[in-house]
Amino acid sequence: MVEKKHNTDVLVIGAGIAGIEASLMLSKADRKVHLVEKTSYTGGTTIKFEEVFSNMECSTCMVAPRQQELLQDNNINLLTLAEVEEIKGNPGDFTVKIHKKARYVDMVNCIGCNACFEPCPVSLKNEFEEGLSERKAIYVPCAGALPNVPMIDTENCLRFKGKKCTACQEACMFEAIDYNQKDEKIELKVGAVLVATGFDIFDSKKLPNYGYGKINDVYNSLEFERLYASNGPTEGKILLKNGKPPKTVAIIHCVGRDEKGYCSSVCCMYSLKFNHYLKSKIPDVKISEFYTDLCIPGKSHQKFYEKMKETKVNMIRASNVEVAKQGKEIAVKYNNGSGKKGTLAFDMVILAPAIEPSPDASKLAKTLGITLDEYGFFQQENIEDSSVVSSKPGVFIAGCSQGAKNIQDSVSQASAAVGKILSIST
Amino acid sequence: MAEKFEPRIVGFLCNWCSYAGADLAGTSKLKVPASLTPIRVMCSSRVDPVLVETAFLQGADGVLIAGCHPGDCHYDEGNYYARRRFAILKKVVEGLGLESDRLRLSWVSASEGQRFADVVNEFNEKIKKMGPSSIKVKKTL
Amino acid sequence: MERKIGVYVCECGPNIAEKVDIDKVIQVISSDKDVAVIEKFKLLCSADGKKFLEEEIKKHNLTHLVVAACSPKEHEKTFMEVSENAGLNPYLFQLANIREQCAWITEDKDEATKKAIRLIRAAIGRVRYHSSLEKKEIDSNPDVLVIGGGIAGIQASLQLARPNRKVYLVEKAPELGGLATNFEKNFLSMKPLQEIINGKIEEINTNENIKVFTNSEVEEAVGFFGNFEVKVKRTDTEDEPAQFNVGAVVVAIGSKLFDSEKIPKYGYGKLDNVITSLEFEKMNKSGKILLKNGKPPKSVAIIHCVGREDKGYCSEICCMYSIKFARYLTDKIPSVKVSNLYSDLCIPGKTNQKFYEETKGKNVNFIRFSDAEITKSKDQLSIKYNDENGSKTSLTVDMVILAPAVEPATDASKLAEITGISQGDEGFFEEEHEKINPISTSTEGIYIVGSAQGPKNISETLVQSEAAAGKILSSLIPGRKIEPEVKTSQISEALCIGCKTCLSVCSYGAITFDEAKKISVVNEVICRGCGNCVAACPSGAASIKHFKFKQLYQEIREAVK
Repeated sequence: MVEKKHNTDVLVIGAGIAGIEASLMLSKADRKVHLVEKTSYTGGTTIKFEEVFSNMECSTCMVAPRQQELLQDNNINLLTLAEVEEIKGNPGDFTVKIHKKARYVDMVNCIGCNACFEPCPVSLKNEFEEGLSERKAIYVPCAGALPNVPMIDTENCLRFKGKKCTACQEACMFEAIDYNQKDEKIELKVGAVLVATGFDIFDSKKLPNYGYGKINDVYNSLEFERLYASNGPTEGKILLKNGKPPKTVAIIHCVGRDEKGYCSSVCCMYSLKFNHYLKSKIPDVKISEFYTDLCIPGKSHQKFYEKMKETKVNMIRASNVEVAKQGKEIAVKYNNGSGKKGTLAFDMVILAPAIEPSPDASKLAKTLGITLDEYGFFQQENIEDSSVVSSKPGVFIAGCSQGAKNIQDSVSQASAAVGKILSIST
Repeated sequence: MAEKFEPRIVGFLCNWCSYAGADLAGTSKLKVPASLTPIRVMCSSRVDPVLVETAFLQGADGVLIAGCHPGDCHYDEGNYYARRRFAILKKVVEGLGLESDRLRLSWVSASEGQRFADVVNEFNEKIKKMGPSSIKVKKTL
Repeated sequence: MERKIGVYVCECGPNIAEKVDIDKVIQVISSDKDVAVIEKFKLLCSADGKKFLEEEIKKHNLTHLVVAACSPKEHEKTFMEVSENAGLNPYLFQLANIREQCAWITEDKDEATKKAIRLIRAAIGRVRYHSSLEKKEIDSNPDVLVIGGGIAGIQASLQLARPNRKVYLVEKAPELGGLATNFEKNFLSMKPLQEIINGKIEEINTNENIKVFTNSEVEEAVGFFGNFEVKVKRTDTEDEPAQFNVGAVVVAIGSKLFDSEKIPKYGYGKLDNVITSLEFEKMNKSGKILLKNGKPPKSVAIIHCVGREDKGYCSEICCMYSIKFARYLTDKIPSVKVSNLYSDLCIPGKTNQKFYEETKGKNVNFIRFSDAEITKSKDQLSIKYNDENGSKTSLTVDMVILAPAVEPATDASKLAEITGISQGDEGFFEEEHEKINPISTSTEGIYIVGSAQGPKNISETLVQSEAAAGKILSSLIPGRKIEPEVKTSQISEALCIGCKTCLSVCSYGAITFDEAKKISVVNEVICRGCGNCVAACPSGAASIKHFKFKQLYQEIREAVK
């Protein structure tokens, strides 16, 4: 009987920080990598942050060199706007079917000049910017997005809805816009799969006591990240809806913790980071952090907390938090550590919602044939052993898709998964 | 009729953060004075007294050194050394008989296209107010 | 030697052509010295453009290439490849950025054109002084030294060892297993840990690609990525040290516990029945949880965060293992009452909260506290503390278990010196980058895993060990040569005055001092090319390839015109 040759190519699903790390490492080992990314850009959620804890390093500076390396790496076949539809076979011999949506912009011809945006007559809320600013139907999600090639949102583009419009094509001097592009079905053969599809945040609207979606100037963490971002909707100016900077801000931890049943591990640290964000732009701002248990493990994290305490942030251990409109301000009612009730008024409230599995996780789990745990994250096969091994041989999991964690741990899991993949004897 | 003074500013930009930030200013089509000519170095720590002196002796009206924010240096600590050297470099500039403000050190991250534009605009205005470098004036006499 | 510099200006469609008068540029520069040819092209990065450039290089026998186009971050690599394909050394090339940093930011076309001319002339001036640079290739050894035979070292060794990659596992103690052998169970799964560890040790002992040194310490590990020279000495004999070479080192020496005697008010070392978590683990594993008087305790208090203030960080594992202890106790002594005294409950991770909620109950009480003091109270222990309202209260128990902070292992400083890696303020080994490179150190080829890098639980330790294996498996490949950085520093023997300033500024330890010649020497394999030593050198002996003074001088000259 002829031994089937073990395929050494790897499918990585998700081009966030974990997927990028894994792809670059695999490429270094001369493996061919097919990197499938659902959106039109790489970097995942990490590129939404201006700075990361605990050294407040610029997030773009950290990720951009890797994104650029990725784009120029000949071993990595980046497939954006793509999703896995089907997988058959066994470790060493998987056949994967990918559905790749058309971008309608040629990735070779396009030089990223952005001339096609201005003439587009359609304007709508930009999802990347958490709805805080608008984009056109032909767009890149943010300045500096990589690959720096726009896509056409066919659901909102006039032409794709049957109207006559060639505004973007007329503006392009490089013949990069091609309305005739078609979605593709791509079949790949790989030996191993790494799932690094990231996370979503708990929808704070589900908890009416926080006023999210009802009261102006109540933001969730991702919205606030974009407000602070220098390439964001306000170029980094932290402003209330009335256009003025806030004088008082409340940051509320643990939103959705009870509902989800776990601690999301990063929120205390990024809430302290938000304190730093606010103080750096608005030195006189008064900030109160409402938390239940301060979760700051890690050798450098408490130092950062001590530094933040020096900025006179008001740390309040609180339960039963309620956010309500009170005249021109926002009232935060709470029970303090001793059970006594208190109320404080603020201009702005920032919520730190739980990290949850991304909405596509269960569909992907079914497609891949891997199990989910009771929280909806991808489940590791054996709780005693490595957390990157899924329930299906040959399929590995890394990053927040396996459970809420910070960047350091996501990157470590990506490396570990690569270690597992490379140590499979071929 | 006095000729309008067009400053010449030499900008030493580190390859990783500030050069990328300057590129982003370009991609974002921001307006940056043409008076600054960028020179790429791998790290702001490469910028030594000889380079700064040479720039001023050749007639530069201003010198800008741009690197990654403290803590972000691609080579770990290079920008900390740049910061320390800056104090000495200021003395070098004074030693040439020039105002030490003609030398500037700014941290620009890869996502700070607007900041790069602002820094250059502001520095350019300042140099315009200070007038041409006395070394340059002597050279042209 | 006659120079023939080819200068090609990219129109980049309208992006450059509309903002810069390219014809004027060509007209002005065409008569410049050494410029053999200057032409414009619609889009140089396109397939046609690249083909055009390659043909031009060959046609004109160009000695140097200058391309005026977009940012080097976009296409420096592209045009270097074109040069190479045309038989021209890729470092005899310079890219002038007249798009992002000229055309796109300059309003006035006249000014943009003048600036483009400056930039292109700067590139021409600079490229004249470029030297051909060749990629270096050095042999590498794929074998790995793993220092520390605890769970981290064991996991890393098992992931790495194979016929073409030997692993040398060095352990100080007489046996492998480390701290984890003291735990009866691992929290979360609550399954017996010894079986798992024994299984892994068995795998190690039967793996012919792993050589185990117990009762041994690493005396020396010098060199660089791909080539470390190692000496390992047995501590129980007078034998000569074993010597061998490896390509990478994994430091997995674990950690120890903060000395609870340093906090006298907890009475550790003075009062009976006040024990540390490790002592309790051992007691529990032995099967008998007993007080000094030989009887089992009826009430136990577990005090979290011992030494947290002194150390300045949260040790991450203590809340979880304290919950585990509550389970040990209630499983083994059904009527026992357990009180966990904690300041902030640190239980991140998807199943940890459930573990906590399923543990607390009638007989397990979680009390938020501050300022505790333990004194003898007849034959029991009295704990005076402030409750969460700040009121003074007290609790009387038979036994107190302290959860002390996790500290770096005793040998951490010694190992840091031997390997040349650095320790952070807290004493744990310092990673290359806190977020995106937590396993590597600033010394390429040396990795840190497990609690030696920082307090962490077993699951995270296993991930880190495998991550180190991943790093090594992807970058240190048997038979493959290592290609270090090309644009490295070099130190002129003639000019070096032996002041050693460069050694102190190098973040990577790439410079050593030759005592015989009394000069500094750069190890070009380790050098990352930042240029810090060049700026620090008082005698001008240090220079960086491709960023030499005379090259930058040409750019300065043109920049001020």
